[in-house]
Amino acid sequence: MAHEPVAVVGIGQTKHKKRRDDLSIAGLVREAAQRALDDARLTWTDIDAVVIGKAPDIFEGVMKPELYLADALGGAGKPVFRVHTAGSVGGSTAIVASHLVSSRVHTRVLAVAWEKQSEGNAQFGLGGGKSGSIGAGGAFAPWIRAYIRKSGAPEHIGWQIAVKDRQNALRNPYAHLHLKDISVEKVRESPMMWDPLHFLESCPSSDGAGAIVLTDKAGGLAAAADGRPPAWVLGTSMRSEPSSFNGRDPIRPQAGVDCAWDVYRQAGITDPRREIDVAELYVPFSWYEPMWLEGHDLAPVGEGWKMVDRGETAFDGSFPVNPSGGVLSSNPIGASGMLRFLEAALQVRGAAGEHQVDGARVALAQAYGAAAQYFAMWAVGSEPPSG
Amino acid sequence: MSTQTSQTIQFPYKRTLGPVIGRFFSELTALRIVGIRCGDRVVVPPMEYDPQTGEQLAEHYVEVGPAGTVVSWTWVPEPGPHHPLDRPFAYALVKLDGADTNLLHVLDTGGEDTVSTGMRVAPRWRAEPVGRIDDIEAFVPGETPEGPTAGEPADVRTMEFFSTITYTDVLSPTLERYAASMRAGVITGQRCPRCDRVFLGRGYCSVDALRLGPEHEEALPDHGVVSNYTIVTPTPYPGQKETEPFARASVVLHGDEMVVSQQQIIGVPVADIRVGMRVKAQWFPEAERNAAEISSKGWGTVAGFIEGWVPTGEPDEPAEQFMDRVF
Ligand SMILES: [Zn+2]
Repeated sequence: MAHEPVAVVGIGQTKHKKRRDDLSIAGLVREAAQRALDDARLTWTDIDAVVIGKAPDIFEGVMKPELYLADALGGAGKPVFRVHTAGSVGGSTAIVASHLVSSRVHTRVLAVAWEKQSEGNAQFGLGGGKSGSIGAGGAFAPWIRAYIRKSGAPEHIGWQIAVKDRQNALRNPYAHLHLKDISVEKVRESPMMWDPLHFLESCPSSDGAGAIVLTDKAGGLAAAADGRPPAWVLGTSMRSEPSSFNGRDPIRPQAGVDCAWDVYRQAGITDPRREIDVAELYVPFSWYEPMWLEGHDLAPVGEGWKMVDRGETAFDGSFPVNPSGGVLSSNPIGASGMLRFLEAALQVRGAAGEHQVDGARVALAQAYGAAAQYFAMWAVGSEPPSG
Repeated sequence: MSTQTSQTIQFPYKRTLGPVIGRFFSELTALRIVGIRCGDRVVVPPMEYDPQTGEQLAEHYVEVGPAGTVVSWTWVPEPGPHHPLDRPFAYALVKLDGADTNLLHVLDTGGEDTVSTGMRVAPRWRAEPVGRIDDIEAFVPGETPEGPTAGEPADVRTMEFFSTITYTDVLSPTLERYAASMRAGVITGQRCPRCDRVFLGRGYCSVDALRLGPEHEEALPDHGVVSNYTIVTPTPYPGQKETEPFARASVVLHGDEMVVSQQQIIGVPVADIRVGMRVKAQWFPEAERNAAEISSKGWGTVAGFIEGWVPTGEPDEPAEQFMDRVF
């Protein structure tokens, strides 16, 4: 039996900030969810099920927050459940929600992902509450050193990406960082936080949430007929691999390669670099852009940095990456994957405003988590899937 | 005999209350309890969203109580360290006068035989309320609140608190053997018969999903090569003791057996650490070795047994062979 085609008909996100001290956690998820509902022109009672995603509970100290948030998300009497796949969770949440529609279990599903990093301290939490926590940057820095050494990339590549994503963020009113005077020199001269990563090559800690409303083919076509073109889900995939074993390739993890090709196959993509118009990749530290370009076969192995250096991933380049400003500009961890997924949908709907990439018809979104071991990706398009 | 390990971690949180819960706590500092109008009901404590329809509630606050009626209760005969009172008490659902919902709180009556459903109770306030639910220390029998006289309300927008968790682990047989071996100063790994990879105290092969038992164990060298590292500029947070940049390195045990990650390299400035550097373990004195860091949630750690790794002074190994071995 063929799957039900899935359409993204509503998108919402919060203004991401270092601290949303105007809102409770419930208020934060509500802001994003209400915007997604309004965008979909639906009400709370139209929603059949709610899927909530977030990263470790220890970040805000609310255990099982999905129970506490059912009221804020109109969940009374409905299926509400929670997804948790570390940093990739926002993407996994969107995918789980899409499966509820594609399997015809539900017709209209709300997916919400969030993090209120200001309530706790990510570095402290990741270190188990002990001194000397290396944090996420410290965990990834050695792999970045390995990538730089193996690929022979010049060190300015990282600085260039840090500038590019922050300049893209200036087009995105929801982005946390709006660094108007960012420059390669400023990145280079910013403190070395996790050698070889500078402070300005790293993501901020943000409070924020993202939400999408997904529905079936009839719902998608109705929205299109109403002049609100949906984003059509062309392929989804999640893959995992163990964090640690002899022979693991941490620079181009096999789970990431497999995840990407599973999506490409579903979407009928055989030459991803040519057939995808824009990508939102999870880049919390600058060097992950070339690593994922290679890790998802958008560039040949060892040459992702050359795409960057040639300006191909710039906003006006031939393969724009992270027009939203990316994780480097907003990082509410649990929501960060969702933000990639909803940005890809915005792009193919032609609804991205100032950060709209011209002619975006097929967009790729990716999120990864933990020790670069969990992957979630989808491809969305402006046309319904064929067949 | 089984070995238990125990660890306590403490986390600081700063809860942003938002307008509605913030108002509730602000009112408590003036010894007032407020609910919120939700249709024709008054919900206490106030909620931001209608629990039935999901609609946002207008901020229409209603003062309730302070006295109320016990709707239901359960007796706590032996309070533990996390309970709100240090003597026997009841948890009770109290329907405050004017409210349509029940507030779960503490009832201090002196004895189980003095509690009954339908009894009238009133709050006993903390001497100096700060804007937390335990500003009401407990409800006590009667109609009259106890405690200080009301002052002006404070504007309470956040609540700061520590959360403490103690984990107690019973070590698996694999980890028991691992800990015993480490106490004796020997790193023991398990070699997968299918893929020939070695794992520390894991009890299974991560690649083949095969169970690894005592028959797969072998002693590993306690020397190896720095495969990669990072130098971290410390950021301040509660409990952070590091003030100067510090390094954490991955060490591949000699023979390419296994990566031990997040290790300290001892006896050299952090700037001298290199990929390919040969190092050997510096064990804690035998009497000081302990298994406290071993937990059933992870695999074998060397923390508590090995203080760090000291350069041997031998020529480096080629960096390229090792640098992508990090975890
Ligand atoms: Zn094996």
